[in-house]
Amino acid sequence: MRTLMTQPQSGGYPRTLIFPSRTVIVAALSERRQFGLALTCAAGGVACWLTATPLGLLAPIAVLYLHFEGRAVALLRAVLILACLLAFLAACLHAPSYREPPLFWAGFFVVALCIGEAVLAQAKLPADTMQATRIVKSMPAFTWSASRDGQTTYVSASVLSYIGQRADRPGLFHILGNSGWRGAIHPEDYPQVMEKRRRALATGEPFDVEYRVRRYDGVYRWFWTYGSLSREEDGQVAGWYGTMIDIEDKKQADARLRRSERQLQQLIDTVPALIWSTTADGTPSYVNKRFADVTGAVLADITAPDGSPSLSVIHPDDRPIAAKAVAHSFATGVPYVTRYRQLRRDGSYRWTETRAEALRDEAGRILQWYGVSVDIDDLVTAQQALRKSEQELQQLIDALPVHLWSWTPEGDLAYVSKRYLQYLGLSEAHFPDFTRVVAELIHPEDGPEVRRTAERCLKSGAAFTMRYRRRSIDGGYRWIEGRSEPLRDRDGTIVRWYHVSIDIDDAVRVQAELRLAQENLARQSQAASLSELSASIAHEVNQPLAAVVANSHACQRWLAADPPNLDRARKTVERIIRDANGAADVVSRIRALFKRSANTASRTMLGDVIGEVCGLMQDEVARRRARFEAQIEADAPPVAVDRIQIQQVFSNLIRNGLDAMDGAVGEKVIGLRVRRLDGSVQVEISDTGPGVEHPDRVFEPFYSTKESGMGMGLAICRSVVVSHGGRLWVEDNQPHGATFVFTLPSEAAETR
Amino acid sequence: MTKRSQIVFVVDDDERLCDALGELLASHGIEAMTFRSAGEYMTADKPDIPACLILDVELPDINGLDLQRRVTQGAHPPIVFITGHGDIPSTVRAMKGGALDFLAKPFSEDALMASVRTGIAQDRAERSARVEIASLRRRYLTLSPREREVLPLVVSGLLNKQAAAELGISEVTLQLHRRNVMQKMEAASLADLVRFAERLGVSSISPQRKGRADHERG
Repeated sequence: MRTLMTQPQSGGYPRTLIFPSRTVIVAALSERRQFGLALTCAAGGVACWLTATPLGLLAPIAVLYLHFEGRAVALLRAVLILACLLAFLAACLHAPSYREPPLFWAGFFVVALCIGEAVLAQAKLPADTMQATRIVKSMPAFTWSASRDGQTTYVSASVLSYIGQRADRPGLFHILGNSGWRGAIHPEDYPQVMEKRRRALATGEPFDVEYRVRRYDGVYRWFWTYGSLSREEDGQVAGWYGTMIDIEDKKQADARLRRSERQLQQLIDTVPALIWSTTADGTPSYVNKRFADVTGAVLADITAPDGSPSLSVIHPDDRPIAAKAVAHSFATGVPYVTRYRQLRRDGSYRWTETRAEALRDEAGRILQWYGVSVDIDDLVTAQQALRKSEQELQQLIDALPVHLWSWTPEGDLAYVSKRYLQYLGLSEAHFPDFTRVVAELIHPEDGPEVRRTAERCLKSGAAFTMRYRRRSIDGGYRWIEGRSEPLRDRDGTIVRWYHVSIDIDDAVRVQAELRLAQENLARQSQAASLSELSASIAHEVNQPLAAVVANSHACQRWLAADPPNLDRARKTVERIIRDANGAADVVSRIRALFKRSANTASRTMLGDVIGEVCGLMQDEVARRRARFEAQIEADAPPVAVDRIQIQQVFSNLIRNGLDAMDGAVGEKVIGLRVRRLDGSVQVEISDTGPGVEHPDRVFEPFYSTKESGMGMGLAICRSVVVSHGGRLWVEDNQPHGATFVFTLPSEAAETR
Repeated sequence: MTKRSQIVFVVDDDERLCDALGELLASHGIEAMTFRSAGEYMTADKPDIPACLILDVELPDINGLDLQRRVTQGAHPPIVFITGHGDIPSTVRAMKGGALDFLAKPFSEDALMASVRTGIAQDRAERSARVEIASLRRRYLTLSPREREVLPLVVSGLLNKQAAAELGISEVTLQLHRRNVMQKMEAASLADLVRFAERLGVSSISPQRKGRADHERG
């Protein structure tokens, strides 16, 4: 990371490419050279005159040529040699006719050689100069020179054309500024530039400055200017020479780079992750700002003294695992992913997922490791909570004394609770056997029904509820209640079936025992009733029988006496007849009470029955100083009843009312009321007696409040009413007394 | 009207049965008084002669068994229960209460009459026993305090000398007392006296008493 962030050196462009050496290139021909050339031309003229041949003309030709073409040196040399040979040949041919020929030719030869060397020496300079000029011209830079005191001596034409100045005003430019520079340099940069130039002039050090220069069209571009003091070979100061290089594009590129770097940095610092890098061997080399902000640890904190990562931000419990992962990755180069609790500035730890990958060079060597740590605490906490709730659910399922399983709509087993598997003695590997095993456990008698019901439910999607016997581990069958229900998605499609089996064996057994006990009780109470009934009948009958027996014995004795006491005997016989008849009465009365002459129901108007009963009982009612008050609705529907039995019910209830009113004071009224109800007829028989103390018990057999009562009357009334499909109960009468109410279904309701 | 030597009381709420029993008893020459309820029986003025009570268990006012419990606390003629439907608990209760018999209706003449006769005889015996003990008690009351002391010593078989020493009196004095006791109690012999003492519940002295007497004398 660190290398990534290496700051660019300001103005760091490769100046060596522009200046291979500090050699000063003389851009123009010197005045001295111009003089040499002129001299050569003159020497050629003299030679021409002396030799009276045009050979001397070769010199000026060569000079002129050389002036324009440096490569002409060899040619020039050849021309000179040719000229010398021609001169020597001419001398040999004309030697006698010319004065002092050897001396002359020697002189000529010397002069020609001198001239040639001079020309060559002269020609060498222009060749360097040309080259330097070309180099300068070809350079993508503006050049300039100035005198030692700063007066500009040369400014390349490109500078002038750039800034839009004419070349004929060199005086405009001075290193220390004048109107020329002032107008060209950006006002913001001007003071700084001048300051640097002044210092350079004062100290003689090179000056190096970047500033904006205005183009002819007013646009400023960045330039880098480098100037240094140039000296002659003898150490004389030659002047200032320098270049101006357009660095606008580079500046812009730099700015872009800086901007993008800044954006990258911002990105790195802004992303909600902790970013870091290490060197190839694992020494931490960078942490982003957020890392420091969040963990409170800086680079030094996470670096162990030996340079390895100290893992100090990792929870001590997680450290071994993290250390192992880190070591493994650093050793093998495999990217690593670890989860651990990471320290926070406040001292807490939060779950963090850290991933790191290696950056490799082209050869595959690891250069850096880059890592990112993301806070996943909420996720982990949620997962833990989820896992915990799942565990709790699982524990709940395992702890409940029920057996659970579920299967997919396709019939594949999805889940079986542990408890069930244990119960069946199966492991999860037996899943495929499960259904078969379970099916085999069901009692053979229940199996077909269970299967049928289950198939029906599966087909229709209806909930399944059944009780059946299932073999338990000990081999005995136990009652189970099995319930299945489908889980449906929003569309109503069944996605899962859930089944629960509950052992209800104890409950079923208890229920069965209870039922048995109830039956026993009912039987016993029936037996008890029977025994009480028989006892009661016996009492009723035995009483007169005892009298009959006693009287018979007495009669026997009176007759056996000597003399027989016939009067007494007759009297006892009369009593015998009376009491025997009494016994017979009792028996017939009881038989009448218990008579169930079924299927004699006939269409009967209750009003008629009441009329008959009232007629029969009128005397008794009058004797007991009571009266009837009948209130019979005219539209009361007919009922289908056994007329005699219903008469008995009426007479029983009326007599009961009369008995109740025996000791009462005030008006004695037996009220009779017949009302039509929906589908039935309701009859009310009220009295003005003291009322009923135990309304819930009066209908029990042998319950009686009367001295002579058998306690059977009301019980029989109720049994008659119930056998006709009605109900009989007792209510309080207002202001006092009791009202016995019974209903009978109307004939219409009966036949319906 | 001859003086009645015996009587049978009948308590039953059924008038027919009362009449029949009265008739039956009459045919046996036994007079009967019939009552329709316990209250009637209790409040009636009854002759004080040997008697027997025929009592129905089911009575309109109070149960026959309750009546039995009340009357048997004092001197009362034996009771023969009759019942329409006799159950075991009430039978047991009646017999524990000292009933002579417990007859279910309809009962046989023989059983009833046998019980009635037994009852009357028993009552007669009890009556005479009551008379005898009353006479003995009367005689006992005539004894002086010293004579009452002498009586248990004598009946427990002590020699005169021993008895005298026990009381700290001379043998002659003791003999005098003894003769008086015999006379007052109208005992012909010592054996008679012992029997009288037993009837009266005058117990012979205990060995402790004897021991203490020795000690006092020493």
